[in-house]
Amino acid sequence: MEKKTIESMVGVLDARMNRQLKQYMDICARCAICKDACHQYVATGDMKYLPARRAELLRQIYRKYFTKAGQFMPALYEAREPDENLIDELYESTYACTGCRRCTYFCPFSIDTGWITAVSKGVLIAAGRGNEMLGQLADAALFKADNMDMFDSIIVDGFKDVERELREETGRDVAIPVDVAGADILYVALAGSHSIKPAAVIFDAAGASWTLSKFEAANYGFFFGDPAKAKLIADRFMNEAKRLGVKEVVITECGHAYRVAEMFYEAWAKEKMPFKVRHILEVIDDYIKDGRITVDPKAITQRVTYHDPCQIGRNGGIYEQPRDIVTAIAPDFVDMTPNRETQWCCGGGGGIVAMEEFNTVRLASGGKKVEQIRATGATILACPCENCRLQIEELDKVHDLGLRIVPVMELVAEALVPKK
Amino acid sequence: MSDMNIDLELDLKGLLCPMPMVKVSQNITNVPVGGIIRAVATDAGSMADIPAWAKSTGNEVLQAEKIDGQFVFLVKRVK
Repeated sequence: MEKKTIESMVGVLDARMNRQLKQYMDICARCAICKDACHQYVATGDMKYLPARRAELLRQIYRKYFTKAGQFMPALYEAREPDENLIDELYESTYACTGCRRCTYFCPFSIDTGWITAVSKGVLIAAGRGNEMLGQLADAALFKADNMDMFDSIIVDGFKDVERELREETGRDVAIPVDVAGADILYVALAGSHSIKPAAVIFDAAGASWTLSKFEAANYGFFFGDPAKAKLIADRFMNEAKRLGVKEVVITECGHAYRVAEMFYEAWAKEKMPFKVRHILEVIDDYIKDGRITVDPKAITQRVTYHDPCQIGRNGGIYEQPRDIVTAIAPDFVDMTPNRETQWCCGGGGGIVAMEEFNTVRLASGGKKVEQIRATGATILACPCENCRLQIEELDKVHDLGLRIVPVMELVAEALVPKK
Repeated sequence: MSDMNIDLELDLKGLLCPMPMVKVSQNITNVPVGGIIRAVATDAGSMADIPAWAKSTGNEVLQAEKIDGQFVFLVKRVK
């Protein structure tokens, strides 16, 4: 491997090195408790998916360049100069990780493997080994945002189509407001209309002052592992929110997008935003509890269960609002076991659904989630994350679960009682 | 366009964005350079997504049209 490439990789590690990462690099006791926590390791028994092993690959580079012992006695202290073999291993371990952070929950030292893999992605990008597909998707999002004159009319026409479809489906005129200065809410959806329609119906019923972002919430720069690109993608709707002077940015049912906007963006931007960021389910929960919308408590007669997406639940702290919403409209609700902090990842996070090379491990790693869903006897799965839904839809086909997999807000839109 | 030689047909109906773009991207190397993918999607978001992906990756969208409620794309692999 060229000296310049190694210097670049070590430079990334150096730039990301802080007390938190240094502690993670130094502290692992190799107890291997994490092996029983990782859905990928449990499904495959393959060492490359063991959380401690994922971190160990980065630790080997760290010891070589950041510790005296590793510099002078590399064999004894398991320090390693990066070579193609190490990079291949690091690539497989890192981009397969869904970032669910279940291992962190069980680690006695709370070592954050998700944080470590985020740094590993930066090191891989410096080595020219960032995942090509995720890089392409990030670049496409940036291109679209940077060339809005080319796409603006297409996007706005698409919103008009959504209005027409809503009129046909609901028999009512539900507006999709765009570019409304002074609106209370900027709602940031995905590119697909499925993330716009139910929210529009609910906002309309609540009499909310809202406007729809022309930019999408999904952030492949985050999955790719490039914080600079991730920030640029999120800049588009954050700047839109500033320009329109909204009181809050509301992110659609998308796990990583919520986490980017709520938990990372201000640190990346180095400024405090003049608005709140909330997940759409927090907003809907308030609407129901404040009586701004009325829902039929028996609207959904089938048994419903709820999947805690890792980025919204374990990594986002939103557990109760979705359950309160679902139990408000579905009397036969059965929670999965385990749930909340210890729920199993479905296997579809971290952008893995877009990376075909990981299809085998992805589908195998959904086994725990399949067991959990089956045990509930539910026929409807409420799931507020796009990547999780894509994964569970595939698991549903492979394992013949007979599920209807649906965003929570879609169930709410079905359960709305029209105002008299 | 109708007499154009199509190297790969992709049925992306029912897929929600950004998956139509992901599928085109995953399949572009399955056609030779100069080859053409014909993709049919039903999600309106694909009308911006697929051309943006093509522009940013140096490929070419020969056609992006809404026909009978479906979004039809002809994508040429350029490199």
